[in-house]
Amino acid sequence: MISLYDYKQDLEQDGIIFSFSGPMSHEIIEGIGSAIRVKIGEGEGGDRKAALKVFAIFVEQVENVINYSVEKDYAQSDMSFGIVVVGKKDGLFFISGGNRIEAEKQNQLDEYLTKLAAMNKDELKVYYKERRRAEKTEGSKGAGIGFIEMARKSSKPLEFSFRKIDERHSFFTIKISI
Amino acid sequence: MENLEIQATKSSPEINFNSDNYTLSMIGESYPENTSQFYEPVYQWLESCTESLGEEKLVFNIELIYFNSSSSKVLMDLFDILEDASDDGKNIIVNWIYDEENDSALEYGEEFAEDMEALTFNLVEKS
Repeated sequence: MISLYDYKQDLEQDGIIFSFSGPMSHEIIEGIGSAIRVKIGEGEGGDRKAALKVFAIFVEQVENVINYSVEKDYAQSDMSFGIVVVGKKDGLFFISGGNRIEAEKQNQLDEYLTKLAAMNKDELKVYYKERRRAEKTEGSKGAGIGFIEMARKSSKPLEFSFRKIDERHSFFTIKISI
Repeated sequence: MENLEIQATKSSPEINFNSDNYTLSMIGESYPENTSQFYEPVYQWLESCTESLGEEKLVFNIELIYFNSSSSKVLMDLFDILEDASDDGKNIIVNWIYDEENDSALEYGEEFAEDMEALTFNLVEKS
């Protein structure tokens, strides 16, 4: 008899409230997003402000996977694959997202996120406003301000990593703490 | 001009424009699957409305509990249309309505207000 009990225990030990790995879609954002808001925001000890912040980061991370993951199952659909994890440890909520990217895009993303991680809140605000009024960058599917938004909401500098999968692909992970 | 009515969904706000009294309202949450597509009619409508606006006063009441970063960019574009029209002497008021418990909504409103010069941009606490 197979059991998911150990797997579930491992997740709980890491403080993980919710974990999803697989094809991402807008419906995932709406459905799981609502569950996260209820879980964190409602009931005894519920924190509505934190719930809305965690939800906001969750939305940006799933949208990043949808827009930028290069792991797609074209035979079935054009859905993008990735992973998003929400948890709480040492009094801080964390939201981590990961997806496959092209290795050649790694340096550019690394430089950009390193720049954001070094900015203080005032600098991030100025940069956010500047990018919000700027024309869309070519090839960018979103507004291009999702990472700045995440950095602004994060109580720690952005944490991120890249892991080589093969010559053409890397796995990108980003973690935000609130 | 015609009235504009868009029903709310879980991830997109209710939008209503009343052409009799030039009032536009937007209430709800905004993280639609395709942001530009969703806001295209509002954009079109605001552009033609500000062009035809005479002495009348245009009031835009906006109450968003949550909006994602791509909606934030679209909202900026909408406010910029109104900013330009105000600069041309048109009478336009934006009321950014927020719940006192939702401090991010107030903060976002303040940041839009800071970026507007000619446009009257009021921050209104929900009663």
